[in-house]
Amino acid sequence: MSSVIVCPSCDLAHRAAMAPASESTRCARCRAPLQRAENGSIDAAIALALCALVLFFLSNAYPLVVIHANGATRATTLLGAAGAFYSQGHIGLALLVFITTVLGPILQIAGLLYQLIPLRRARRAPGQDAVFRLLTQVRPWIFVEVFMLGALVALVRLSAYARVIPGVALWSCAVLMLALAALTSRTTPGQFWHWVDRCRT
Amino acid sequence: MRAPATGKSLGLLVCLQCRATLRASPVAYPRCPRCYAHLHQRKPHSLALTAALLLCAALLYIPANLLPVMYTRTIFDEEKDTIMSGVLVLLHSGSWPIAVLVFIASIVVPLLKIIALSVVLFSAWRRSPRYRRQRSELFRMVEYIGRWSMLDVYAISLLVALVQIQSLAFVAVGWGALAFGAVVILTMFAARTFDERLLWEAPP
Repeated sequence: MSSVIVCPSCDLAHRAAMAPASESTRCARCRAPLQRAENGSIDAAIALALCALVLFFLSNAYPLVVIHANGATRATTLLGAAGAFYSQGHIGLALLVFITTVLGPILQIAGLLYQLIPLRRARRAPGQDAVFRLLTQVRPWIFVEVFMLGALVALVRLSAYARVIPGVALWSCAVLMLALAALTSRTTPGQFWHWVDRCRT
Repeated sequence: MRAPATGKSLGLLVCLQCRATLRASPVAYPRCPRCYAHLHQRKPHSLALTAALLLCAALLYIPANLLPVMYTRTIFDEEKDTIMSGVLVLLHSGSWPIAVLVFIASIVVPLLKIIALSVVLFSAWRRSPRYRRQRSELFRMVEYIGRWSMLDVYAISLLVALVQIQSLAFVAVGWGALAFGAVVILTMFAARTFDERLLWEAPP
């Protein structure tokens, strides 16, 4: 059924093949995005995912923030933020922070690399469809950009009482946020399955 | 006026995961031939699920704002912080742009999200034919901004992790933070279970 495209937001049926593949279109009735350009480079997506992987390790290996107050020094990492809730018995909040800032991003990066690297050589990874479906469930729960803003709020509040030094991970987290956004916009479902369909034929 | 052709009227399904348009098949539990996701003409039990999740979120919004989200203990005293008093602390410490940011993200956005989802849900249930495009754009906007309410939970997590200088100061998590996190999660699920296409269904 490639001649008709149904809008996932309002169910209106559209005739396809009216727009060139390099253009994105919107639904005529509800204005939701209907088709996006599908001419992206798979190499660029893999490069971005590898870049995000490196940034993810930096963000977890180094401290986010270091504070000095009354002669004492304390630092925390990304995992430490989730661990702080856990150590006070708030397991629900600890899981929430862990999933949205650590597990979500690494699943997204690793899952995409798992699918994209074989696709580049026109092969499909085993269980590729299941990994794809898992990632569409995980994607809305990646909150790295919100975490960055939350870190900013915490820094401002602490700066009244202590000397606050942003750590390496804070900067790498900021770049990771941009890399993940770029990666998401380059691997939309339409684009992704365009690559899969290309290797099938 | 003739009704416009829709996926439903043409017997077509759209896969919400990989966005392929497919011919509806007569089997009981159809799956997408491309990504193997379950296919539905409309999300199952959409209105009831969204209403239930939204009601829980609205109820939890009250403790989220009234209960302390954080306790700060120093050798001299103990301070309780609710979301709103945290905003006031930021305001008095001179960083009003951050105070405004936290106020919008933590208090305005969840409230707006609950109200907007209720409006959209009610009009979908009534099959109201008016302002359809505006409502569908409102829904998409609300779905996008909802995540920003998590900001305060992250700020608290860092404060708790950093301020553990035992003898001098100590920050403990309050139950308000859990209620607050639950509001964000529940409204996100409410938006995900809602089927936008119900906004465009023909009036009865």
